[in-house]
Amino acid sequence: MKSMGATQEEYYRGVRMIRYDLVKELAIALGAAGLLGLVLAAAFSSPDVPQVTIATWAQSDPLDFVTTAADELAGSTTSAGYGNPYNTAGEGQSWGPIGPQKWFGTRIPIDSANAFVIQPLQRASFSNANLASALKTWQDSDADQQGKWLDAYSKALPDATVTDGNVAVVAGDYGPLPVMMANLLGIAQAGALDGLLVSGGHFYQTDYTQPLLFMGDGGYLSGLADQAHLTGSQWGMMNETGSYPGQTWLWLYTMWYQVFPFTSDDGFLGLNAGNADLGIIILMTLLTTALALVPFIPGLRDVPRWLPIHRLIWRRYYAPRRSSASRIEAPQL
Amino acid sequence: MDTPTTYFHWGFILISTPNLLVIAGMVVLFAIALVAPFPHAEADDDGRRN
Repeated sequence: MKSMGATQEEYYRGVRMIRYDLVKELAIALGAAGLLGLVLAAAFSSPDVPQVTIATWAQSDPLDFVTTAADELAGSTTSAGYGNPYNTAGEGQSWGPIGPQKWFGTRIPIDSANAFVIQPLQRASFSNANLASALKTWQDSDADQQGKWLDAYSKALPDATVTDGNVAVVAGDYGPLPVMMANLLGIAQAGALDGLLVSGGHFYQTDYTQPLLFMGDGGYLSGLADQAHLTGSQWGMMNETGSYPGQTWLWLYTMWYQVFPFTSDDGFLGLNAGNADLGIIILMTLLTTALALVPFIPGLRDVPRWLPIHRLIWRRYYAPRRSSASRIEAPQL
Repeated sequence: MDTPTTYFHWGFILISTPNLLVIAGMVVLFAIALVAPFPHAEADDDGRRN
């Protein structure tokens, strides 16, 4: 080992050098990769799956839309019970003292029943007396009465019929719910609900939190994701729609979702399916830190000595020299 | 290309054919990089031409 106090000239004295034009290599690599990208883009184009909107959801699967809207009113959907950052209905994910959802609080307050059902109906009721009356009946009723209507309506929905995009349930005591749901479905099918849920007071709307939460509560969006192999249990992070290759470099991240303890309800050391997102972020942070610290980790830093692949790449450098006069000091690993 | 592709399923592993091809391509490129000579075979290791 040479002294670290030596000058650069002293340090490298006697070490064989190889001329290498790194800039030229970089330029060639960039040019070749760019050309390859252009050719592939011209030949295969790019994924072009139509956007999934609340309108397409309400048109394609009106029964799922109405069922989800009723569940929003009942407060039984995923978003309604999610917890932070949307509400305080759920505990959120945590592992021991680590609970970022609690730490950062309710940063994006969303009341699912009001945001996705009541408020859009209120806006639509200005020019619709029948809807305004139904909405007033609903809001003037106590929670007990609303619960009874919702319970009866939710039990009738599985047997509902869909005709020309309209959902009809058998006769029963549902209060104003059929009128409210029929109007919400009509608003959604016309595309107005998409606009109402993204209106944030800006000229350009880029915040799709509310429509995504609403669609995520239903079965339509998750059904499409399942068909395209994009869900968490299908290694979805590294997949792309159609026959395009996806984000293969995310294999390690998504792999953890397929294995114990992140697939188990009981788990191990408090890590389980219920806090898989947080657990996997913690695990990947630890692994990334370990990767950055490889030169300082005994055993791991010695892997190149046991698997000398670099000697294969630089085989001419490591080949035995013909003359003892030209012996050199090999780079220290 | 927008039509669904096929997936291979081995145990907990589920991978699409395009992803498998990309990974296989990366492995082949790595193998080629190991054995392909550097583009200065006519020069000696110290950079001097023979």
